Amino acid sequence: MPAFKTHAMQPRAQLDEQARQDFVTSLRAHLSGRLMPGAYKVYENRVEPKFRATEGRPPADHEEVRKAMTQDPYYQFWSAMQRRSQELLWESVIDPTERQLPSLIETSKSLTQNAGTPGRGSLRLDPRLPLPRYHAAVDIHLQPGGYHTEFAEDDVAAGVIYDKGINLYMGGALGPENNLMGDILLAYLKEKHPDFRPKRILDLGCAIGNSSVVWARAFPEAEVHGIDVAAPVLRYAHARAESLGVPVHFSQQNAEHTDFQEASFDLVLSHIVLHETSKSALPRILGECHRLLSPGGLMLHLEIPRGKTDVEKFMHNWESYNNNETFSRFMTLIDLKAEALKGGFTSEQVRVDEFAPKLDVAQMNYAEHFFWKILAARR
Amino acid sequence: MKNTPRIARVAKGKRPQYFSDPAIDKLLSMTLTLMEELSVTRDRLDSLERLLASKKVMERAEIEGWAPDAEAALERSAARAQYVDRMMRAMQAELDEVTRRGERVGDIDPLDAVGS
Repeated sequence: MPAFKTHAMQPRAQLDEQARQDFVTSLRAHLSGRLMPGAYKVYENRVEPKFRATEGRPPADHEEVRKAMTQDPYYQFWSAMQRRSQELLWESVIDPTERQLPSLIETSKSLTQNAGTPGRGSLRLDPRLPLPRYHAAVDIHLQPGGYHTEFAEDDVAAGVIYDKGINLYMGGALGPENNLMGDILLAYLKEKHPDFRPKRILDLGCAIGNSSVVWARAFPEAEVHGIDVAAPVLRYAHARAESLGVPVHFSQQNAEHTDFQEASFDLVLSHIVLHETSKSALPRILGECHRLLSPGGLMLHLEIPRGKTDVEKFMHNWESYNNNETFSRFMTLIDLKAEALKGGFTSEQVRVDEFAPKLDVAQMNYAEHFFWKILAARR
Repeated sequence: MKNTPRIARVAKGKRPQYFSDPAIDKLLSMTLTLMEELSVTRDRLDSLERLLASKKVMERAEIEGWAPDAEAALERSAARAQYVDRMMRAMQAELDEVTRRGERVGDIDPLDAVGS
């Protein structure tokens, strides 16, 4: 696996800090690679037979599986350790970030001093933008402070932490520039629409712009925009993209209603973002995509699959109950196509695909056969 | 040291209870932290011993006869305090929640926030 690429906006880890990150990687590889698959065996051999013996029938749905499994000591222990590994993951990245934060903020300023000039990206922040309730209620993925908390003036900490954090979360599988999600959606576009050449691209909920950069590199003639509601990740995204020499225009906006003109983009994207939003935000985001797309334009949303069997559905929902992905469990019950129709697309324009490029993503492999879900629509 | 910014270490949101007794949750959290720190220490010792051997500074057996001087003892004491703080974070988080100084449980119901 190619090593994570350090750049000017990543802190240097001291010997013990590096050792903590290495331990977290080893621990999580064991928890997800060795112990997590055991949860399926425990279900088949102990939990399901016990349920059958007392109820005289198998569990009716994934909710009944959940009630039975959360009483099982093996599942409890794995689940509690998985939770703790996520907390340790963030702690291991926060320590070196906090130690070097003032210099990281200075670096971000010097990297972005030529912003807005030809060939460079830009950053537009809106301090008055209200933070959506689904960000304010809990810190998503247990990242302390979430994407939005500012710990210092001109803060970039949330972005610094998120970048290294997601690298550890996936055991490095996201690639040297956390580029995997962008690569998957790009591979889908190339397979389904090989001749599509977008001129203006919008990446919704872009966070640190790791996927935005993938698209800007793939289509150097296109103007690429990335929006997010959180300022610290956007400042980091901007500095990171500038340090990589890739022009992306970032702005602090809510994907439910942006200030871009109607029909001003021919490609609108999101990368595993929709399941972090809410029941009311989801159709509004899809409606905004509909408004922003020019005729013939494409909308592509990469999503996490929610499992096929009841026990898979239950396992996929682990992140919802234990890793502050509150909305993702509701996605198990939501028909993405119907949501796109609510947003104004017609039935003929929308498709939901299962897409499985050859990848070994142990961390997210809650199911035997892993595939990505893609909500696509052509305007 | 001038005003170094501090970053939160505990995420907002109610922590699930995994075992019938919440004390077991805390003990397991601490055990995993301990496991981590032991791994860190072993890595560091390994680095040190390999460096020393490669530079032909000493034999491994000499470590046994060594004792810290006053300055080294002070540095060790500070490092140990930081270590204990890390180990006890689960307790501190509970205390912060009880005294409402922490942010683990917010004033917005997360289910309500996504459900309408």
